[in-house]
Amino acid sequence: MLAGGHGEENPNASWLNGRGMWLSYVIGVLFLHLVLLAVPFFSVPVAWTLTNVIHNGAMFIFLHTLKGCPWVGLDQGKTRAMTHWEQIDYGKEFTASKKFLTVIPILLFILASFYTKYDAIHFVLNFLSLVSVLVPKLPEDYKINLFAKSEKVY
Amino acid sequence: MGGHWVPNESPSIVQLFHAIIDAPLYHLVVEGLLLIWVFWLIFRKSYNPKDKAPLTEKEEDDLIEEWQPEPLVPRNSPSFDPDHPALNPRIIQSKIGKYMVVKGRKCLNVSTHDYLCLNEEPSVEDASVKSLEQFGVGSCGPRAFYGTAGHVHVFFEERLAKFLSCQEACLYSYGFSTIASAIPSYSKRDDVIFADAGVNFAIQKGLVASRSEIRYFRHNDMDHLLELLLEQQRLDEKNPKEAKVTRRFLVVEGIYMNTGDLCRLPRIVELRRQFKVRLLVDESISFGTLGKTGRGIFEHYGIPNSEADLITGTLEYALSSVGGFCVGTSFIVDNQRISGHGKSSSGYCFSAALPPLLAAGALAALEYIESSRGIAAIERLRRNCLLAQVEWGDVPGMELVGDAVSPVKHLQFKDRSENLKDDSRALQKMVERAEEMGVALTSACYVEDEDVCMPPPSIRLVVSSALDDGDIRRVADVLRRSAPRPGR
Repeated sequence: MLAGGHGEENPNASWLNGRGMWLSYVIGVLFLHLVLLAVPFFSVPVAWTLTNVIHNGAMFIFLHTLKGCPWVGLDQGKTRAMTHWEQIDYGKEFTASKKFLTVIPILLFILASFYTKYDAIHFVLNFLSLVSVLVPKLPEDYKINLFAKSEKVY
Repeated sequence: MGGHWVPNESPSIVQLFHAIIDAPLYHLVVEGLLLIWVFWLIFRKSYNPKDKAPLTEKEEDDLIEEWQPEPLVPRNSPSFDPDHPALNPRIIQSKIGKYMVVKGRKCLNVSTHDYLCLNEEPSVEDASVKSLEQFGVGSCGPRAFYGTAGHVHVFFEERLAKFLSCQEACLYSYGFSTIASAIPSYSKRDDVIFADAGVNFAIQKGLVASRSEIRYFRHNDMDHLLELLLEQQRLDEKNPKEAKVTRRFLVVEGIYMNTGDLCRLPRIVELRRQFKVRLLVDESISFGTLGKTGRGIFEHYGIPNSEADLITGTLEYALSSVGGFCVGTSFIVDNQRISGHGKSSSGYCFSAALPPLLAAGALAALEYIESSRGIAAIERLRRNCLLAQVEWGDVPGMELVGDAVSPVKHLQFKDRSENLKDDSRALQKMVERAEEMGVALTSACYVEDEDVCMPPPSIRLVVSSALDDGDIRRVADVLRRSAPRPGR
């Protein structure tokens, strides 16, 4: 598939800035939570921990491990070795989208902690999954691939 | 603790709020830190990717005030050379054939790349004039945009592909831009190109434009190439995921413009198969000169054309026209024709097509090469090349570089002085002396600051099929007489 055009090298850099993106994201997470709550043998704490872990797992995979983009861009393969997080807003830090994506897992963690009554087992699960999505977002980690143990210099 | 792992035991809201009071300290610390992070993020200034931050009027004025225009030719800089050939053009006042009139003097031509002397072939001229009368001068647009004139371009491409027994050919409007835009239409960022360090300037520009990783191997040093390929293989084994999407190219010239050497094609083809690299061969000089029928370096070594993935050439040398061509499989050639998304070849898609009269001239030249007269001319050229190698090599203090069968040979100093400028000035003087004796020579010019592997200063001698034995001996005599005395 070909994508881009109109001066846009790589749509991955900007589609999260689209109108209604944040609302859609929150609705998506809420939907996931409601589905989990609807499962008869999941209690409220289990549902919240699962929501958090699933959300963070998906975020970890799609934002921080998968590289490149699913279309043929105009960037001559510049993004071939970059995760989606690195591509957002062409690598600029502290943009609105990046702040939003950082705040969401933290809020989810706080909510999950509240609904699990600060239980130790739930805390460990939730906290580990939170760390897995926050550490790759630290600005220092930009373009350093922690998990493949290789550093790519551009 | 852990009671809520039991199904259907969800805490009520009241229980939840009570739990905050009992929350362990580590938990509160973690949440506190996280909340501080959130607030810091929220109150930190956002970077807006859409903001272009326009300059204020004062900043604009300052920038304009700061700017100091530089002269195109900085006369005070150390690199300024009043003797530079570009500042002292030698004007040719006649048609460039076997002889030409340089600054009013009729000279024997051993400097222009017209190996088969087709500039003086009447059938080529007639075809060009006929095409001029039919189509006018310009092609009026790129090939895909009204630039394809009648059947001239298409017919020539078909004939050329048939001549080189390839599936398809495409025509470029300028020889230099052929390889310079063919390379970047295949090789991209993250790809690897292995190239001979002695490749000509057009290829070097193509390599740069591709943005790929370029690994130069020492000129015609196959062991060094093997070393680099093995190194790449090791890297690929270490990182198979990246190796899967990395393409590897090998770029060589049939006959090297800068040295007159032939490429070691049999070994290169072997390595290509062994390491699965894509082979790009520039046949600018070898096309029309090497092999019994002039089909180039592949015919010379008896290797089928299909061993190369892409062959480029120019119409400006043996075919005495203007333009260039690429031949290969339909799949390869079509890639250059399609436009869009950085895949196409900029020299093909975004330049006005070759003027029809030049394409018609090149077609007539190709027909000439295919005829029995052409084959005889190529045979004569080969004989001349071998004779010239012997005759011209005997110049005191100088040596002749280049392969015996190559029509391009370089005459350079045996012991080079430390300052390249002194050598080039001495050669320039030699060219002037030879001109007075009625032989037009030329010293090889390079873009000194940009060439990756600057060849030593030399006089580039070009053999043509129009020369006879007497002419070659006369040139040898003039070379000996005009050569700088020892010590220069």
